[in-house]
Amino acid sequence: MGRQISTPHSQLSGLRPWLPAALVVAGVSYWSHTLGQDAESGNLSLSLWLGLLFGAVLQRSRFCFYCISRDFIETRDARGLMGVLAALALGTLGYHLVFGVFLAEPIAPRLPPGAHIGPVSWVLAAGALAFGVGMALAGSCISAQFYRLGEGLLAAPIALLGTSLGFVLGFLCWNSLYLGTVQEAPIVWLPHYLGYGGSVALQLAVLSGLALMLWRWHRVAATPAAAPAAWWRVRWPTYVGGLLVAAIGVGAYLRIAPLGVTAELGSVARTLADKAQLLPTRMEGLDTLRGCATVVKDALWSNNGIFVVALVLGAFGAAASAGDFKWRIPTLPEAARSFGGGLLMGWGAMVALGCTVGTLLSGIMAASLSGWVFALFCGLGLLAGWWLRNAAPRS
Amino acid sequence: MKILKQLLSALAALMIVLPALAAPSDFLVTTDWLEKNLNDPKLRLIEVSVNPGVFERGHIPGAWNVQWHTDLVDPVRRDIASQQNFEQLLRKAGVSNDSTVVLYGDTNNWFAAWGAWIFDVYRIKNVKLLDGGRKKWEAENRPMTPIVKADPPGNIKVGSADTSLRARLTDVLAVAEKKSPDALVDIRSADEYSGKVFAPAGVQELAVRAGHIPGAVNVPWGQAVAADGTFKSVEELKKIYGAVGIDGSKPIITYCRIGERSSHTWFALKKLLGYDVRNYDGSWTEYGNAVGVPVVNLAGTVWGGK
Repeated sequence: MGRQISTPHSQLSGLRPWLPAALVVAGVSYWSHTLGQDAESGNLSLSLWLGLLFGAVLQRSRFCFYCISRDFIETRDARGLMGVLAALALGTLGYHLVFGVFLAEPIAPRLPPGAHIGPVSWVLAAGALAFGVGMALAGSCISAQFYRLGEGLLAAPIALLGTSLGFVLGFLCWNSLYLGTVQEAPIVWLPHYLGYGGSVALQLAVLSGLALMLWRWHRVAATPAAAPAAWWRVRWPTYVGGLLVAAIGVGAYLRIAPLGVTAELGSVARTLADKAQLLPTRMEGLDTLRGCATVVKDALWSNNGIFVVALVLGAFGAAASAGDFKWRIPTLPEAARSFGGGLLMGWGAMVALGCTVGTLLSGIMAASLSGWVFALFCGLGLLAGWWLRNAAPRS
Repeated sequence: MKILKQLLSALAALMIVLPALAAPSDFLVTTDWLEKNLNDPKLRLIEVSVNPGVFERGHIPGAWNVQWHTDLVDPVRRDIASQQNFEQLLRKAGVSNDSTVVLYGDTNNWFAAWGAWIFDVYRIKNVKLLDGGRKKWEAENRPMTPIVKADPPGNIKVGSADTSLRARLTDVLAVAEKKSPDALVDIRSADEYSGKVFAPAGVQELAVRAGHIPGAVNVPWGQAVAADGTFKSVEELKKIYGAVGIDGSKPIITYCRIGERSSHTWFALKKLLGYDVRNYDGSWTEYGNAVGVPVVNLAGTVWGGK
C-alpha cells in the first residue's frame, strides 16, 4: 500500500473516541430532519439511517468480498467467507418471511415486488466474471470501495471513476446484448418451482453444504494474541457483520427496496452520458428488468443516492472512532489498477444489473437463480484476478 | 345495509352543513367513514394503484390488490378485461351481488377511477371511490398493513358491457367533423393540449402527432381536486366545467392520453354532477396515431421520427 498519513482524526479519537461517531450521527440527524420536512421525500430519511448503519457495519466487520476471499485463498482462513454465508442464510429466512406477506402464493408469472430476481444468461455470467476480475484488481468490490473511502482510502474515488466509465461502456453494449440474449433469458425464481418452504430448504441446504466445505479447508490463522482493547476498537467477527447485513437487507427490502450500491452510480453515469449524447436514445428493455435499476435522473436525491452517501459517512464515523481512519495515497501502479478494476466492475455491474450487494446478496436472499450464477462466476473471476495480480510484478 | 344507509345519510347531512368538506354523493366515501366501516362484512375494498409494489408494502386493512395493467385489461389486444375474466377477478376478490365495493389507489385515484369506470361498464352496482385515495389515508396516519386478507370467493354475476359508457374513435371523429353535437373534454396538461409536447414529462411518446381533437376543451384533471386530493364540491365543479361550456346540456366525452386519467374526470362529471358522460379510452394514443383524422396543433410541433 501507498503512503499512510496519520490525521488529526485518529489522534482525536485517541482522546475522545466517541467524538467522530457522535459528530456524524449529529450531522445525519440534522440532515434527516431537513429531509423529513419535504412531504415528497418519502422514505429518504429511512434510506439515510439504513445507509449509515450499513456503512458502519461493513467497516467494523471488514465486510469486503475481495479481502475475505483473499484470506481464504492465501491463508485458508474461512471465517470471512463464513460471514457471507451467515448473511445469506439469515437473509434467505427474512426474505421468505417478507415474501409470504407480499405475495401469499408464489404462482408464476407473478414475482414479489421489487426483489432482485433477474434474467439468467451468458450475459449475466460474463458480467459477473468481469466483476470478479475487476474487484481483485481494484482490491475491493464497489460496496467495499465506498466503505474504504470512509476509512480514507484515496484509491477508492479512482476506482469509482473507473466504475462510472465502465457503466457507460455497459450502456453502449446494452442494446445488442438485450436484443440478442437478455430479452429471451429465463427469469428463474425458486419458489415458483418449490414453493416457499422448498425454496428455503434448498437454499439452506446449499449454504450448509458450502459452509461444511469451507470448514474442512479452514486452517486457524496463527494470529498473535492481541492486546485487549475496547469493543469499539476491535474488528467485529465477519459473521456478526453478516448477520447485521442480513437484518439491514431484510428491513430495507420490507420498507424501501433490496440493498444495492450501484443504482445511483449507474444513474449518474447514465444521465451524464445521456446529456453528452453518447448513448442511444433508448435502452431497450432496461427499465423493465429487476435489479439495481439505473435511470436518467430528474431529482437530486434518490433513495439509493442517500443510502450510498450515508454508507460512506457511517464507515467514516466508525473508522474514525475506532482509530482506523488514515489517508492512504495510492502509488501510480495502484491507481492504475484501481481504475482498470473499476472499469471492469462497472461494465460487469451494468450488464449483470447489480454487484456483489445488489445481485449476489440481494439476489440469493431472494432465492433468485441470477444471484447464484453471479456468485459462481464472480468467484471464478476473482480467482483469475488474484492470479493476475500475483503474476504481475509487485508494485 | 341499513346502518350503512343511515351512516351515509348522516354523512350527507354533515356535508350540507359543511359544504366545503367534500362533494355530497352516493359515489364517494370519506376516509373517516371507511375506517369506521372496515369490518362491515358486506364491504369489499379494492386497491388499484398505478405504481407496482405500493400495495404489498402497506394497504388499507382488508383491501384486495388489482393490477391495472394485467387484471383490468386484455394483455394482448388493446381492450378492457373481458366479461368472463372480469367476473372471475371480482369473485376472487370476494365480491358478491350484495357487496358494496370501495375502490381506492395512489396518484389521486387515477386508476381507481378507471376501475370504477370498468365496474360501471359491466353494470355493477354499489361501487364507490374513497375520496382522496391512498394519499389522504396516509396523510391522516390511518392504519395500514402489508398482510393480505383472503376472503372467501364471491358470487357476483357480471352483466354484458354497457357500451353507452364508452366512446370509440368513430364517436369522437363525428364530434371533430361536427357531425355530432357532443362536447369533448381533454383532461391532459395545457402543453399536451396545445401540442407543445407529445406526452407528459417522463412518459414515453406513444403518439406520432401532437395536439388535440378539434372541438375539445381543455380542463386538466387536477382542476377537479382540492389540495388534499378529494374532489371539489359539486358547486365548484359545476363552475369550473361550466366556464368552458360543459354544463350537462349535451352529452360529454372525456379523453386523455391512454384513457385512465380521463376516468377521473368522467367520474366527477358522471357520478358527482350526474351528466351524460362517456369515456374515450382509446384517447390520444389512438386518435393521435389515426390516419386521416383532423387534428388541432396550436404549437405546430412536428414529429421527428424519434
